[in-house]
Amino acid sequence: MTQTIALQAATPAAGPPAHRTGLRGALSRTPGRLRVAGVVSVLAAAAVGVIGLNAGLAQSQALSDADADTTQLVGIQDVRNDLVVADATATNAFLVGGLEPPEQRARYDEAIVSASNGLARLAGSNGADADLLGQANAGLTTYTGLVEQARANNRQGFPVGAAYLDQASAVLRTDVLPHLDDLVQANTDRVDSSFDSVASVPWLLALGILALAVLVVVQVWLAKRTHRRLNAGLFWSTVLALAATIGGAVVLGSAAAKAGDARSGPYDATVSVSQAYSLANDAKSQESFTLIKRGSGATYEEQFVLKTDEASELLARPTVDPALSPLLDTWVASHQEIRALDDGGDWDGAVALAISEEPGAPNDLFAQFSTAASSSLEASAAQTHDALSGSGGSSVLVGWLMLVVGLLAAVLSWRGISTRVEEYR
Amino acid sequence: MTTTRSTRLGLGAVLASLALVAGCAGAPAAEPAGQQQAVASVALPAATVCDDANESTTSYAPAPGGATVDAIRTRGALRVGVSADTLLMGSRNPLSGQIEGFDIDMLRAVSTAIFGDPNRLQFRVITSAQRLEVLENHEVDLVARTFTINCERWETIAFSAEYLTAGQKVLVTRDSEAQSIEDLEGLGDQRVCAPEGTTTLERLEETYPGVEAVSAPTHTGCLVLFQQGKVDAITGDDTILAGFAAQDPYAKVVGEAFSAEPYGIGVAADQVDLVRFVNGVLDQAKADGTWAASYDRWLGALGTAPAPPVSVYGRVGSP
Repeated sequence: MTQTIALQAATPAAGPPAHRTGLRGALSRTPGRLRVAGVVSVLAAAAVGVIGLNAGLAQSQALSDADADTTQLVGIQDVRNDLVVADATATNAFLVGGLEPPEQRARYDEAIVSASNGLARLAGSNGADADLLGQANAGLTTYTGLVEQARANNRQGFPVGAAYLDQASAVLRTDVLPHLDDLVQANTDRVDSSFDSVASVPWLLALGILALAVLVVVQVWLAKRTHRRLNAGLFWSTVLALAATIGGAVVLGSAAAKAGDARSGPYDATVSVSQAYSLANDAKSQESFTLIKRGSGATYEEQFVLKTDEASELLARPTVDPALSPLLDTWVASHQEIRALDDGGDWDGAVALAISEEPGAPNDLFAQFSTAASSSLEASAAQTHDALSGSGGSSVLVGWLMLVVGLLAAVLSWRGISTRVEEYR
Repeated sequence: MTTTRSTRLGLGAVLASLALVAGCAGAPAAEPAGQQQAVASVALPAATVCDDANESTTSYAPAPGGATVDAIRTRGALRVGVSADTLLMGSRNPLSGQIEGFDIDMLRAVSTAIFGDPNRLQFRVITSAQRLEVLENHEVDLVARTFTINCERWETIAFSAEYLTAGQKVLVTRDSEAQSIEDLEGLGDQRVCAPEGTTTLERLEETYPGVEAVSAPTHTGCLVLFQQGKVDAITGDDTILAGFAAQDPYAKVVGEAFSAEPYGIGVAADQVDLVRFVNGVLDQAKADGTWAASYDRWLGALGTAPAPPVSVYGRVGSP
């Protein structure tokens, strides 16, 4: 069987000898060889242009992807933050007992409105995330329902309200936040791969160097064959292709460098601060639960410590505004005061401190940290956006310029070779 | 009055009440419990926490206190494990933020006896399942959290004398025709909730295979599931269910009690002096009308205050 196939295959491989002789014949004569050299140099010059256009468009695309994915990532983290803010507020308000303070109710409402708007907007801006966002949205509906039920019961003096609040927090942490965390991860991966493409695109231009080498080889061959030092058309074609490649490399390379700076600077700061902010709010909810659970809150306190430690690690990163870390530390120190009171048996005192809205009280210190973190977050997100959105246009422009120059170089190459071919007529 | 009580009490509790009169009703050959103490504590260690001479409701005779009580007095606060969400028995009043209820009143009486101040309580809110471990680890001095006295629990902790007799009942929706768990079994495909770590859940799983037992971390967790339609009924002590019915007009407690749940205050096994002290306080409350006043205030929904459960003493030495 195998042998048969081998035999069959061997037969056509012997080939029609006549055609080969014809091609060899044409190539053995100088005009034929010149024409081939012409085609090769035209293709090489044109290749520079095509590669340039591709690189320019690819980089512009990668930049706008990075920008869009960063925006999406920041948006998802915003929603996540809104939700933990809402939960921290609701649980803290519950500690007050009876009617929650109107300003806390307003803060909760604002956070929920912002989160649900955010979810709708995010689902619209990236179809790939829509599924998980939909699940998060469904979870949010359940969550708000449970919080309202907790309130209604609380208002009637029914202790079952506490159980509803408990369930609400559990729903938030099992049905909503994990979806958002998955999305944060997915978008972080997308942003990383977009940044990687922005950085790698300029290397496409290395192919342009190959094309330049081809042009040089053709000229050396031509010089030997025709005994003339320079072919004007080919020379200018090479110069143009070289200029285009260098120009392209400079423009795309600087865009890549700028994006790289954004990635290791404001983008890194944005992601770190956002995570730290989210962790701090989560810890704030845990703090309220340590008191609500009254003596059985040890696991919540462990969570508090874990989350605030992680947050302060993130804030210690060199890209992050150094003013944030001390603010977090001050708040965590005030939390220790609450713990000291509660652990010392003064639960009422601990609660009074935990819900106090006085300046310098834990709630105030937390608000100071929140405000600073939010504004730092906005600033670094805007910087990242500026760095990414500014370079895309020039990448496209340089791509098209390289195409035009490449085509011009191709025309010049063809004309240069044509004059030599004419000499054989 | 007496008739209703004995039907609710069930056999064990009836025997226990008789024990006071007859020495020990369950063991004809037994000598009066007090005289047995010295012999039994040597010959029979922990394994015999419940036997004919030691009904589960038999506690240590009252005494004015000892090292443990002194230590609490020095500390300045009585650490107590309570529920914060069992309306009527122990729950946090959302309006005042204070934990209050029948169980809490008993603890306040102990606080008054030690400090002359009912408010020297340091609350630790615990779930049903945590009741034993917080005592075993000495994290609290007393646990008063709808805590049924039984032999199994006597193996690791000690109880005060019985201070309230509850009975297990069923809570169903207002329009349900079921009068008992048997009725629910008859309906088929019914989910019944009880909290983790309770005698209620054990009995539900063992005795009623015809219903699906669903557990929640606390009894109030069951009420949430009930209101959300995730369970069809809740079973638990009438004291607890009365609190639920008070929070939900669409729920009703049905049928006769099908178990007797003698409540006691839990104490660490090695703090017998504290048990004796608490028993003295409870006896005082039962005698001077404090007990009845608390009953009327919190458990009036179950009817007018019955006679307080009779304290049974004569438990042999500490396990």
